[in-house]
Amino acid sequence: MTEAVLVTGVAVATAAGRGAEASLAAVLAGRPTFAEVRRFDCGASRTRAAATLPDARSLAAELREAVDTACRDGGLGAADLAETPLLLAAGTGTTLRRADRAGDTAGAAGLATRLAERCGLAGAARAYTAACVAGSSALAEAASMIAYGRLERAVVAGGFLVDADHQALFDAGRALADDGQVRPFSRGRRGMLLGDGIAAVVLESATAAGRRAATARGRLAGWGRAGDAYHVCQPDPAGAGLARAITRALSRAGVAGGQIDYVNANGTGTSYADAAEAAALRVALADHADAVPVSSTKSVHGHALEASGVVEFVITVLALGAGRLPVNAGFVAPDDDCRLDGVVRAPARAELRHALSLNFAFGGANSALVVSAA
Amino acid sequence: MTGQAIHPGVEVRARGRWPEPGDTVPPPVRGFAISTFGPVVVQAAVRCLERAPAVPADAGGATALVLVSARADQTTAGLISVAVDAGRRVAPMVFFQSVPNSVLGHLAAELRLTGPVVCVSPVGDPVAEGFEIADGLFRDGDATRALVIVADQDQGPDRGGGLALDPPASGTALALLVVPSDNHTSEGGSS
Repeated sequence: MTEAVLVTGVAVATAAGRGAEASLAAVLAGRPTFAEVRRFDCGASRTRAAATLPDARSLAAELREAVDTACRDGGLGAADLAETPLLLAAGTGTTLRRADRAGDTAGAAGLATRLAERCGLAGAARAYTAACVAGSSALAEAASMIAYGRLERAVVAGGFLVDADHQALFDAGRALADDGQVRPFSRGRRGMLLGDGIAAVVLESATAAGRRAATARGRLAGWGRAGDAYHVCQPDPAGAGLARAITRALSRAGVAGGQIDYVNANGTGTSYADAAEAAALRVALADHADAVPVSSTKSVHGHALEASGVVEFVITVLALGAGRLPVNAGFVAPDDDCRLDGVVRAPARAELRHALSLNFAFGGANSALVVSAA
Repeated sequence: MTGQAIHPGVEVRARGRWPEPGDTVPPPVRGFAISTFGPVVVQAAVRCLERAPAVPADAGGATALVLVSARADQTTAGLISVAVDAGRRVAPMVFFQSVPNSVLGHLAAELRLTGPVVCVSPVGDPVAEGFEIADGLFRDGDATRALVIVADQDQGPDRGGGLALDPPASGTALALLVVPSDNHTSEGGSS
């Protein structure tokens, strides 16, 4: 018998603004937040668009605000915080190298340790650096620890701010959309765009939440992780690894594929990745893959890399609570390479009981989270 | 000590290192020419798996890859920031090896390891942290074995030392193949 894992506090900031309401309103309206970057000189990069929060401070400051906000949202007092550990998702690469030059050499773990201390938490339990599944991996491990009684409560946070190094890096990989729009699953999609994303979540056992009469915003009902064993950076075109992750998450949640009411897809808007994801959904959900509403909220807020799993999880929780479907912005027309008939093209209400939040990353890393209504 | 339970949830079945006695420069790995970080990880992992007890073909299950590294590949990160500061384009190859997952993807594809791919920067003892993560993956049923790799660069000479990076770096790696402790009570054939 395992504990139910409840979501009792959330916070998110994207280029749509600070506060959960701002990001939720943008994704429900399908209003993209991409613009020419003003934060830094794009130098030799071919693509100059990204989704940036105009008044963003340092990553550490933004993370602190997100964690504090999520803990307030969850109604946690100082005594609760002091017994709650942090799991962080953040990068290891150029961001940290530049921080090194300012005298900070502890890596993502150092960022996690300082963040936990400044927020009054019990300490850092983990610092995930697994690229675009870092956030979802942190959520999965926290949920597992709570479900099996290793922890009663955890704060999971993720943060990424667009910078010149990442813009140049993704430009070098020719991964960025040169038309300034992200068009997941659409004909004519031209790639991804980067976006700021800072988010935090309070996960808590039903027992602990009940003890303090906390209100649940939703449940993290299932999680699954699997590898492609296919390529250094490209996903398996057959989607086998992601399909296994989805199947494992559904099994853990006790939810059949046909009961999924919404999929917040990884949906980067790149040609091969969207095709692989559509293939995975067909394997895991069978005929329901054509019926289930699907969107990628990256089409609105961009790709927040290590933080994307936490950002998109929060948005999925909020959408379930609102009973409305996030819109897949930028969609022009179906593409036979990744045809999914349920792509959400306009704002819509829906009764949402169970949703999937999917992420995959370089290295063939895949994750699936089942989010259920409280 | 291979085979001895050194964590409540896992048991070590094999280990490999870079460097071991006689090692000088790690053999090249296709696609990872810029930095020694990837080749060092690959060498430790391959040595570990070569020393592991054979797994029956019908055993099923999945092997997870868990990389524990404080700062991962700082040589490649340095190349990016140096290029950006100079206003130059970054070489496409840098993109593909820019995250710690990349080298795990290489290992997974080469060795057909279909378990989860996990990377962390350790907040405590790196080996213990890798074992905790493996234990959790076993508990969840996402993996039946895990290759835990602890790797970091140090301040020694690097093959890419002509790239004017500060500091140039070589690296060390320790790879440990672990299984759930309930499954194994003896040392088996590991070395």
